[in-house]
Amino acid sequence: MVSPHGIQFAAHLISSFYGELCSKVCECLLRRGTLTLAQIIQSTELSRENVINCLRVLIHQNCVQAFAVQREGAFGEAPRIVTQYMALFNNIIHKLRAPKFMQIVSEELGKDGLMQHGRLSLKRIIDRNEQTAGSSDIHVVRESFIRLLNARFIERCPAPEPFLAPPAEDEAPAKRRGAKSAKIAEPKTTEQRALAAAAPMESMRFLMEMDDLPEKNDDESSDSVTHRKKRKQDVLKSDEDVLDANDKKEVLWRVNFEELVRRLRTKACISYVKTKINDEAGIVLSAILDLSGRPESRQKAEKTAYLSINAIYDEVIKKEGGLGMDFERIRVSLNQLGCETLSTGLDESYSIGTHLSSFSYFNAVVESVVLRRYGREAYRVFRLLSKAGRFLETDKISDSTFVEKKDAIKILYKLWKDDYLHMEKVVSSGARQSLFLVWRVNKQTLWEQVLDEMYHAALNLRLRIAHEQDRGKEVLQLPREKLVGELEKKYKLLGKVRVILESSLMNLDEAIMLFHDF
Amino acid sequence: MSRSLVSPSSLKRKRPETQLPGLVDAEHAILNLIKSKKDLGIWTREIKLETKLADNVVTKSVKSLLAKGLIKEVVNIQNKAKKTYMAVEFEPSKEISGGEWYNNGELDKQLIDALKLVCFRYMRMQKVATLEGVHNEIKKNGVVTFDISSQQIGEILNSMVLDNDIIEVKSTGLGDYYSIPIGKTCYRVAGGAGVAKGPRMGAFATIPCGACPRISFCTSDGVISPSTCVYYTKWLGIDF
Repeated sequence: MVSPHGIQFAAHLISSFYGELCSKVCECLLRRGTLTLAQIIQSTELSRENVINCLRVLIHQNCVQAFAVQREGAFGEAPRIVTQYMALFNNIIHKLRAPKFMQIVSEELGKDGLMQHGRLSLKRIIDRNEQTAGSSDIHVVRESFIRLLNARFIERCPAPEPFLAPPAEDEAPAKRRGAKSAKIAEPKTTEQRALAAAAPMESMRFLMEMDDLPEKNDDESSDSVTHRKKRKQDVLKSDEDVLDANDKKEVLWRVNFEELVRRLRTKACISYVKTKINDEAGIVLSAILDLSGRPESRQKAEKTAYLSINAIYDEVIKKEGGLGMDFERIRVSLNQLGCETLSTGLDESYSIGTHLSSFSYFNAVVESVVLRRYGREAYRVFRLLSKAGRFLETDKISDSTFVEKKDAIKILYKLWKDDYLHMEKVVSSGARQSLFLVWRVNKQTLWEQVLDEMYHAALNLRLRIAHEQDRGKEVLQLPREKLVGELEKKYKLLGKVRVILESSLMNLDEAIMLFHDF
Repeated sequence: MSRSLVSPSSLKRKRPETQLPGLVDAEHAILNLIKSKKDLGIWTREIKLETKLADNVVTKSVKSLLAKGLIKEVVNIQNKAKKTYMAVEFEPSKEISGGEWYNNGELDKQLIDALKLVCFRYMRMQKVATLEGVHNEIKKNGVVTFDISSQQIGEILNSMVLDNDIIEVKSTGLGDYYSIPIGKTCYRVAGGAGVAKGPRMGAFATIPCGACPRISFCTSDGVISPSTCVYYTKWLGIDF
């Protein structure tokens, strides 16, 4: 389940991009989980037509995934197929990152405005390009497309409505065998199964088959209407089906968020290491990640394969600032990065965790919040508990952190009230029965709590931006000539405010993206 | 005067002792009780409960014992209001006194800060330092008047680690660590990123919401909301 402010933030984003109605439908799915069309209609109290239209938009924009399940008929009725819809929270949040994604694509492949919209078939991409760029050279477009595909910035869309077979009979006895065996094969939730079923096979995901390429502009493609609005209507054909019949036949492509997020994360990882340790460590990490390439499967690799020191050296000296490094300095950096080594005879190789969690990013973020919100003594207390990873008693905390005992209690209580700590009461048995309080940081709940606060903050930033724009709208609407004296000052101030808020939002969004990875 | 002593053990303890000259029975009983508590001490109310003597008797006896220099009053860090008494031959336990870092029931911040500064300066010069190195430096420096132990220095260093002023590392034997055995714990000054600097780490903490004590009350349209937030107004430097 998504955290409360996560839901609010997602709903707000959908509202900004696609309107109130879509936002209502989306919020309903986020709050109540996977639902059928009938359930959505009932819950949102919108008309059937409105809900269907919203779902179409949301599916097209990759914010919702549909899937079909078999439902047992009631009272001897035959089982029927029912379509359910689930919200894709991560993809919704990615909408905020669209400009960053475009930047990465253009950095890597030059100016390429191909994938701006939810999902498109290659034919439509070419048609659209014809209008915007005015050129009808499909070869250029095709080449761009292939470049994007090879870089994995785009991927095949998942199946629009995969069918989930009911869980196989032999799964049931396994559960009966006892909790132990059930734990070994953790049953996937319906949502996880739906996503897995919808996803194209790994081998197909980035594969474009020859007959996908149109040879020439067909006149039949009457979808090459000039008006974008009309195009959207083509996709959202008004029939009983939520999904456009065409969608089911053509291969559709969409932005591959995974790859873009991976690249952003790698960049941020290296930059974080540079700040935390030093530039050299950043260079070495960059070399290692380049050598390791991307993980082959959808599974996130916990750490890289073992790389020999020679291979690392060869890669490091290619990097900017890396030419002057020698084996010794590389080894020092590897040690600082916390790499695992494996030395067998003449071989010396290293492996490193691929997640920011390896570099205690999570801790850094949370600790900085604790410092600013609760003060330096609380910072020490929190860090102590965070490192200890187990329950510590009040006196022990106060001693180790050099905080007066009475202050320690106050701090601990405040942190506990805000859900940053767990607390338990322990009664010691013996001659003197006394009550002790013990405290602990629980990483899981803490992560959820802080992430929720970050979503809350992101939402607040967006609301404040809207508020400031609204407040200053009179000034903003004035023509340039009128902006003199006081008005000019106000105008400049509005601009400054906007820059502060928007850049903070961008930074916070990046922090959320990295934090979410924990 | 009749006395009723609670525990037979205190009776046992009483018999082998020769009566100290000049002490009445009440004072004796109380003194023995206090002695039995060793370095934990005992406070007035407990003395009254355990000896079951009358209030004024206890008060008078305690005063007398104090005057005779047989017991002393110590500050109890757990509860400063409780007057705690201890036999002179004992030193208050850590539980009562708060430990070496407490002076008269309060944390000796001046001492701690002074020590931290000396440690930090030494480490900045050395780049890498071991516990022993720092300990020797402190002793040499003469910044403390008492005989400071290695363990106490360790506590100071750990506190500095918690403050993120220094970091704890294990020696690799290479580079800066060449003179330190591999695997030994040592300390170095934390790099510039002591506390979440830079946009990515500090992104949340540097906006008002990150530091806000009222974030749990904040809603989009409530009394506390981003549109009305005074912290935002201040942060943005706007007042129109």
